[in-house]
Amino acid sequence: MRRGTSVYVHFPFCARRCPYCDFATIARSPQEVPGSAYADAVLRELEGRHTELEGRHLASIFFGGGTPTLWDAEALGRVLAAIRAAFPTAEDELEITVECNPSSLDRAKARALADAGVNRLSIGVQSLSDERLRFLGRLHDARGAIRAIEAAREHVERVSVDFIFGLPGQDRAALLAELDALRPFSLEHLSLYALTIEEGTPFHELRKKGRLPVATDDEYATLFLAAEEALGALGYEHYEVSNYARPGRESRHNAHYWRGHAYLGLGAAAVGCLDEGVGRARRRKNVIEPDAYLRDPLAPPAESERLDAEDLLREALMLGLRTSRGVDLADVRERTGLDLLEARRAPIARRMELGDLVVEDGHLRVPRSRWLSLDAIVVDLF
Amino acid sequence: MSTDPSRIRNFSIIAHIDHGKSTLADRILDVTGVITDREKQEQLLDRMDIERERGITVKAQSVRLPFRASDGQVYQLNLIDTPGHVDFTYEVSRSLAACEGALLVVDATQGVEAQTLANVYLALENDLEIIPVFNKIDLPSADVERVRREVEEVVGLDCNEELPCSGKTGMGVREVLEAVVRRIPPPKGDREAPLRALLFDSWYDPYRGAVCQVRIVDGRLSKGDRIKLMATGGEYEVTDLHVYSPFQTSIDVLEAGEVGCFSASIKSIHDTKVGDTVTLAKNPATEPLAGFKEVKPMVFCGVFPTESEDYPALRDALEKLRLNDAALVFEPETSDALGFGFRCGFLGLLHMEIIQERLEREHDLSLVTTAPTVVYHVYDKTGEMSLVENPSRLPDAGAIDRIEEPYYSVSIHVPSEYVGAVIALCQERRGEQKTIQYASQNRVIVVYEMPLAEVLFDFFDHLKSATKGYASMDYELAGYRPNPLVRLDLLVNGERVDALSAIVHREKAYHIGRALTQKLKEIVPQQQYEVAIQAAIGSKIIARETVRALRKDVTAKCYGGDISRKRKLLEKQKAGKKRMKAVGKVEIPQEAFHAILKVET
Repeated sequence: MRRGTSVYVHFPFCARRCPYCDFATIARSPQEVPGSAYADAVLRELEGRHTELEGRHLASIFFGGGTPTLWDAEALGRVLAAIRAAFPTAEDELEITVECNPSSLDRAKARALADAGVNRLSIGVQSLSDERLRFLGRLHDARGAIRAIEAAREHVERVSVDFIFGLPGQDRAALLAELDALRPFSLEHLSLYALTIEEGTPFHELRKKGRLPVATDDEYATLFLAAEEALGALGYEHYEVSNYARPGRESRHNAHYWRGHAYLGLGAAAVGCLDEGVGRARRRKNVIEPDAYLRDPLAPPAESERLDAEDLLREALMLGLRTSRGVDLADVRERTGLDLLEARRAPIARRMELGDLVVEDGHLRVPRSRWLSLDAIVVDLF
Repeated sequence: MSTDPSRIRNFSIIAHIDHGKSTLADRILDVTGVITDREKQEQLLDRMDIERERGITVKAQSVRLPFRASDGQVYQLNLIDTPGHVDFTYEVSRSLAACEGALLVVDATQGVEAQTLANVYLALENDLEIIPVFNKIDLPSADVERVRREVEEVVGLDCNEELPCSGKTGMGVREVLEAVVRRIPPPKGDREAPLRALLFDSWYDPYRGAVCQVRIVDGRLSKGDRIKLMATGGEYEVTDLHVYSPFQTSIDVLEAGEVGCFSASIKSIHDTKVGDTVTLAKNPATEPLAGFKEVKPMVFCGVFPTESEDYPALRDALEKLRLNDAALVFEPETSDALGFGFRCGFLGLLHMEIIQERLEREHDLSLVTTAPTVVYHVYDKTGEMSLVENPSRLPDAGAIDRIEEPYYSVSIHVPSEYVGAVIALCQERRGEQKTIQYASQNRVIVVYEMPLAEVLFDFFDHLKSATKGYASMDYELAGYRPNPLVRLDLLVNGERVDALSAIVHREKAYHIGRALTQKLKEIVPQQQYEVAIQAAIGSKIIARETVRALRKDVTAKCYGGDISRKRKLLEKQKAGKKRMKAVGKVEIPQEAFHAILKVET
C-alpha cells in the first residue's frame, strides 16, 4: 500500500518580521522577493529528491512561511503543479492550503491562487483590534483583516483564520468581542493560539527586561475556556488544543502531522519527516539561509535526525493527545511496532484512574476538560 | 626470606582532607622506585573512583616499600593508609594500632584542623611516634613558621626537626623517609610466641572471598595455616598470603612486625571484623589484642527506587555493596508514600552519601531517599526499650514513657573571632557547653555535647557559613539522654506522608512545622491539582500551606517544523521529573524528603 505523504513548502520571505515570530523568515520588500527563482529552486529540489517519493501518495499540500502571499501566484502554481505531477493522489479532493497575510491578500490574489488550484486559505488575522495588531507589529489593521477575509471568501470556499490570544489588555470580554466579529463570515475553521514568547525574538528580549505584560497562566486558562465555550455555541468543534472547525472541515494537512504521518518539506528551512520502515523515520531540516538555498536547493540538510520506535511513540503521544480523537492505537502499532497501552501500562492506568486519559474506539485520548494540563499528562507517558 | 624487625618501619599518614596525603603517598612510591613511569597513576593508592573524585580516601591500600636509607641498609617500609573521615574513626584507630609511627602532614598554607587533631590523639593513644611534615611548601602562601608554631602549641609536638616538603614537586620527600627510618621505632613482638595478628582492614574479592589485611604482632602466619578469628570464633585455612608493593606479590610467610594480606575462603567480610585478632587454631594465643569494638550504624535513612520495578535491582546493588562494607546495614522497608525500599544504616553522613552515590552511579539506579535520622531509644510504660530508626514508626505519645536520643561530643576548632558565632549556633542546636579552650593565641577549641539529630540537620554547613569556612569539627558518641521529643507529621492533601515524618523537640515543633510547610510549598511544583501541605502533631494541625493548581500547562501550538524541538523540551521535563515520586495524585520531588534538613531550626 502506498503511504500517504503530505508536502510542506516553505516560503521564507516576509515584508516585515513580527516581534513574536521565531519562524525561519527574512524581511524583503515585495519587489525584492525572488519569487520565480525561488520556484525554480523548489522544483530542482523536488526533482532531485524524487526517489524519496517512491511508494508514496500525496495526502495534502501546505504553503507556509514566511508570507507565501508575497509569492506571485504563477510561480506558486508551477510548484503546485509539479508536486501534483510528482506522485499519485488518492484523495478525491486534495487539500491545498496557502498561508496568507492580510496585507498581501486581496481579491486578485485570492482569485489567482484559486486559479492555480489552491482550495484553502489560512489567513494570519491574529486579532481584530487595531491596538493589539499594533502591539503584535502587524502590517494590517482590523479593517484590512476584514477585507482580506472577504476577498478570500469570495474565491475560495475553505477559509481559516489564525488568532492570537493572551495579549495585554485582552480580557475575556475583549476576546469574545473579537471572535464575535468573525461570525458574519461563517468561517469553517479557526486556529486560536496562546501568545508564546519564543527565544530569540524581540518579545523575548522585552519579557526578560520585564517590559512585556503578558497574560498570567490563570488569565490564559480563563480565555482558553471562554473561547471554547463561545465557539462551541457557534457550532465549532474544538478538535485540537489550538484549532476549531465545523464538523468535517478540520485541516487535513495538520491532522496528518498530528497523526505522526510522513511529510516532505521543500524550500529553505523546510522540515520534513519521512518514515523508513516500521519503527524508523528520518527528519530533516533544509538549509536555512534563503540565498544558500537558492544557490543549491539540494545542499546537505541543516539538521538531520534519525527517529527510532520510541521517538515515534513519544511524538505520537505528544501530537495525538492534542486532538479530540486522540492517538490511533492500531496506527501507532503499525508505524512503530509498539503496543502503546502495553509500553506505557503503569502511567496510563494511573492517569485513567484520575480521569486524565480515556481509551475508546481504539484511541487513547485526553478529555477536553483536561487539555489545560496536557503537557503534564504527556510528560508522564514519555 | 624474612626481614629482621630492626629494619621494618610501619607508619601511616595523618592529614586533613586536601592537605595532600595522597599526593605525598604517590611521591613516596616514586622515591622508593617501586613503580615505573608507565605504571604511574595519580593517587594510585585509592582503589575506587568515587574516592578519587572527592579527594577523600575512604579505604585505601597499604603498601610495602623497600627503601635504601643513607646508612646503606635496605628497610622494609609499610605505609598503612587510613580512612580519611570522622565517620571512620574506629577503622582509623585500628589502622594506627598497626603502626609504630605516623607522619602528621600539615598543609603549610593552612594549619592544623580539628579532624587532624582527632587523629593525632588517636595516634598518641596508640603510642605512635609522630613526625610533623609541612607539605605544599612549593606554594607561595606557605608559612612554615606559623604552622610550626601551631603544631607546637596546638598539637603539643616538638618540631625541632623541621621537615618541609612538597608532594607536588617531590622536594624533601627523601628526607621524610630518612626521618621515618631514624625516628620511628622498629616493631617489637615475639616471633616465637603464638600468632596474634591485628585485622585492620578487609574487603571482598569475588574469587577469594574476604581478603584480610593484618599486622602480625606476635608469631608468624604461613600459607596453609589453620587460623581462628578470636572475636567471631570462625576457623579457616589460609589459602594465600600476599603483600602490595604496590602491585600484588605472593609470599609464603608473614612474621611479627610485618604487614600483609591473606585470604582463607572466608565467604563474607561480615566474618572479618576490623579489630579482631587472628591466631592459629592449633596453638592459639591466650589473650586477644586489645581494642576490639563492634561497629554500629548511627544514621539511618530510607532508600527507595523511583520506579517500583527497580526494587530487585536495588536489593542486588545493596547486597553487592555490603560485600565490601561491613558497616552498611539494611532491611526491607515499606512506606505508604514511597512503596517498597530499604531502611539503611550508616556510620555517618559521609558514609551515607557515598553509598547513595555509588548506588546511583555504579548501579545506575534512580533513587528517592528520606532524610537521615538517628536511632531513638523509646521506652514504653512497662520500661521496655525499643529502637526506633524510622520516625514514622514512633508509637503514639500515649504509649511512650520516654524517648532518649543519642548525643555527640562535638569539638570545633575555630579562630577566636568566630567563637561567638559558634556558641550561638551550638546553643540553637540544643547543645550543652562542655569546654572552651584556647589552643593558641587565636585558635579556640569549643566542645559541646549536642543531640546527633541536630548535627544531622545541616549543622556542618551552618557551621561553615557562620565561620566563613574556618571552623573544623570532630565528633564522637557521648551516650543517650532523655528529651521531650514528638513526632511531627506532614500531610499532603490530608494524607499523612510517612516518609516526611520527623522526630523533633517539642519546643521546636511548632516552629519547624511552619518552616517545613513553607519550605515544601517552595519545593513542590505547581501541578494539575491544588496541593494542601499540613504539619501535624498527633491529630493537631499546626501549620498549613497551599500550592495552587497549575491552570495552564499546555504547549500553544505544534506543527511539522517544531515537533522535534517540542519533543525534546518534553523529554527534558521528563528527565527533570525522574526524581519525583507520585504520592497519590501529587508528585513530590526528592528534595522534599530532605526539606527538614534545610529549615532553620
